[in-house]
Amino acid sequence: MIGFDLSRKLSLAGDVLIRLEKVSKEFFIGGEKTRVIDGIDLHVDRKEIFGLVGETGSGKSTILRMMNGYIEPDEGSIYLMGMVLDSDSRYELVKETSMIFQGFNLLGNLNVIENVLLPTKLRKGVRKENVERARELLSFVGLSEFEKSNIRNLSGGQKQRVAIARTLITKPRIIFCDEPTSALDENMSYEVLKLLKDINERFETTLVIVSHDIGVIKSVCSRVAIIENGKISDLISLTPKGVAPVSYKEAFLSD
Amino acid sequence: MIERYIETFNKFRDPLFKALIETADMMLFSMAAALILGLLLGFVLFITGAGGIYKNRSIYFMTSGFINITRSIPFILFIIVMIPVNRMILGTGFGVDASKIPLSLIGISLFARFTEQDLLDVNKNIHETSYALGASTLQYFSHFLLQEARSGLILSFTSTTVSLLSYSTVMGIIGGGGLGYLAISEGYYNFNYELMWIIILLMILIVHGLQTAGNTIAEKFDKR
Repeated sequence: MIGFDLSRKLSLAGDVLIRLEKVSKEFFIGGEKTRVIDGIDLHVDRKEIFGLVGETGSGKSTILRMMNGYIEPDEGSIYLMGMVLDSDSRYELVKETSMIFQGFNLLGNLNVIENVLLPTKLRKGVRKENVERARELLSFVGLSEFEKSNIRNLSGGQKQRVAIARTLITKPRIIFCDEPTSALDENMSYEVLKLLKDINERFETTLVIVSHDIGVIKSVCSRVAIIENGKISDLISLTPKGVAPVSYKEAFLSD
Repeated sequence: MIERYIETFNKFRDPLFKALIETADMMLFSMAAALILGLLLGFVLFITGAGGIYKNRSIYFMTSGFINITRSIPFILFIIVMIPVNRMILGTGFGVDASKIPLSLIGISLFARFTEQDLLDVNKNIHETSYALGASTLQYFSHFLLQEARSGLILSFTSTTVSLLSYSTVMGIIGGGGLGYLAISEGYYNFNYELMWIIILLMILIVHGLQTAGNTIAEKFDKR
């Protein structure tokens, strides 16, 4: 409906891909109205890896879900790629983004390549081209030989890599990552973080990563917002120290 | 003794066949109604219920109420209560066609409740996932909910079908005929116990066949 117009407008969008202006959100928690997000101003630039850290319940995941339009703020405005994010535009705008989740959220009744192809099915693309691209992506995430596997037979790290291939199939400008490594062990976390870093460099994709794990944020993010009680308590620029594999032994001995 | 059963079977071959066709006729119609409308009402319950994407107390209450009422009235009384409705719709309150109406209603109610439960069993994150991947609301239903709930739904539909078969046996009271009625009227009331047992055996085989088919299909579709 606004498809053509949208891509023209988005190509004109400046270097700020996401902008939150005085955004607030209230939820009913235990029957009481609670201000979960309290007047947040925030922007995420093109090609950056932006981190959101905070305690469980600090509101960081809510911010992420407002950025992709899943949750509507009570007050304030959100701009995605230069356009106002509202109930009309959100279904179009969200298609320019994608998301990976803590619990991977793959469909168990689809096999690996079907999961990767799912977003293209929703967009009614040309199947043959998409299958080729899905195969390329599976080799990019190192899962070529698992193309026809069922999801239940994969390890956690493999599942998250399928989920990453699934986000990449639509060439999103932004990938939202909600605790992408929380369900994974050290080595698998390393694999996933390295992959995210690669994606950022190779495809110039903007990443927003929510995590409670400071190590994760430090290793890949260029800027990080610390969320406390629904507010940004600090905004810090980082020089990412890079992703390096650590064995348990190294991790214990390095301090 | 076996000869007596074979003799009875041969003697009643035509009525048995006729009753089987009547049962199949009632069953197929009410199964189709249950599948389409039951699934639809199940979705209505799921999306308007607590945690649903279109939470709406009054729609949920009305839909749920309809289902509870049809399921709570003793079925024989429900058939009788429905006679005027049959008459209004079909012009007659009796016969195989009239039997399809109460049978369909109970099938719809059963399958709707099963569907709601199967959809509730799907991972709660699925709506958010579908949205983040670019799905519309309709695609959320078709590509995500139905996809993930499918094996549960197949098993639920199998249970609904088996229940419908057992409900169909009392349709005789409004002239619905069918296997169960033949077993009661010709078999039990006429002291023809051989015929009664033949029909009971036949129905056991039908139920067993239905359940086996349902389990096999559900398993084939379940990759989780």
